[in-house]
Amino acid sequence: MRILRGSALFAAAMFLQWWWNTHLAYWGAAPQFLLALTVLVAARRGPLAAILIGWAWGLYADVLRADLFGANALLYALAGYAAGMVRRQVDLRAIGPLATAVFLLSWAYALSLGVLGMIFSKGFVWIGWPSLLAGPIMNALAAAAASLIWEAGARG
Amino acid sequence: MQRETRIAHYVVGLLTALSLVLLSLPLSSPVRAFKACASYVLYPLAYRGERGYQRIAEAPARARALLSADVENGDLRDQLRRTLWLRQTVESLSIENDRLRRAMRLKPPAARHPVWAHVMERDPQRWYSSIAVDAGADAGLSLNDAVLGRRGDDLVAIGRIVEVRPNTATVLLLTDQRSAVAAYLSSGTLEGLAQGQDGPHLRVNYLNAEARIVADDTVYTSPTSATFPPDVLIGRVARVYPRDPFLAFQSADVAPALDAASLQEVMILRARPGPGAPASALVGPLPREASAPAPAKTPAPAAAPAAQEAR
Repeated sequence: MRILRGSALFAAAMFLQWWWNTHLAYWGAAPQFLLALTVLVAARRGPLAAILIGWAWGLYADVLRADLFGANALLYALAGYAAGMVRRQVDLRAIGPLATAVFLLSWAYALSLGVLGMIFSKGFVWIGWPSLLAGPIMNALAAAAASLIWEAGARG
Repeated sequence: MQRETRIAHYVVGLLTALSLVLLSLPLSSPVRAFKACASYVLYPLAYRGERGYQRIAEAPARARALLSADVENGDLRDQLRRTLWLRQTVESLSIENDRLRRAMRLKPPAARHPVWAHVMERDPQRWYSSIAVDAGADAGLSLNDAVLGRRGDDLVAIGRIVEVRPNTATVLLLTDQRSAVAAYLSSGTLEGLAQGQDGPHLRVNYLNAEARIVADDTVYTSPTSATFPPDVLIGRVARVYPRDPFLAFQSADVAPALDAASLQEVMILRARPGPGAPASALVGPLPREASAPAPAKTPAPAAAPAAQEAR
């Protein structure tokens, strides 16, 4: 049952990310639900689950783009790993630290993606000002909302 | 906890290495095969998602369309019922019409087929007499076909075909002295005979002597006309002549609705060609629609206009 629910949530998150990107993204800015959820999984389930799930979600994000195949998989897995490591010092179950971690990891993601582009592609991959400025905030909000939903689901 | 962390180290190292391989060798066969597999597994989510989203997104519009189609269907059904009833009425009227025609031994009205032609020649010496058009036997024209002009949206009686050549035809204008057409005035449905004067005006003779003719009255072709269809505009009464006590009818001048000088194209009402009818004919004697009117002081018979036009 738990596997089924996990699989459904796994697929639902990918669907949500695709749907938001396709139909609700304005000026190129959309929350990275998969990144936020990876951090949330790390906070709730530990680094191992977050790494595996993050890598799979990153692979999905890579499939949808034409270049740098594997970049998102790497960065999401690293984000899950980092969050899993951080949760030992910081209580990421609380919304504030979780949102902060997601916010910082989003900046790190943007920077790392640019560097990966510089190494494996023609140059620094610039995600754009709207995504750079609004993306981390939206990611933090998404992580907070997902955390609340997770909490409610766990209580129910 | 320590064990899980250790495993996490290994896993993240492994996946990082794998990711770096994917990033480093994007064009190698194994990476491309892996990407193809990942696309095969993961891409349907987006594809099916889009299809499902479209269906859901279109649902309100489809429901709206369904409702409006239902309303429209009801309206069309009512309309169809009314049309069926109307058709039955028309059919019964048609049957009744045929029966009455047979009873009265009337011929059915001749079918007419319009043919448009350009005015190709106009003789200044005979400005009010005739014009030539660029349609002839090739267009199925025959003698005495009615020729109409166009003024705005109205059709106006112009004349009739008096000569038919293979590609051209000559139109005798109503203003020619040899032309005459049975006509009526709109105010009192007074019948008369509109005759050409070789000038800009026509003259309507044989109007009832007791009738009160109004200037500017509209003149139309009569249903008794042998050449023209009924109710085609001819012109307006321009002048009413004082009543002559020695005459049994009145006369009035009519300004044609269409000046011959302004004609560019005309519509010729081609009669249905009968079997064995000559395809082309150059007219010998001019087929006058009406002979010269009875001289003055001769009382006109009741059916004078029609009789004279048909002569």
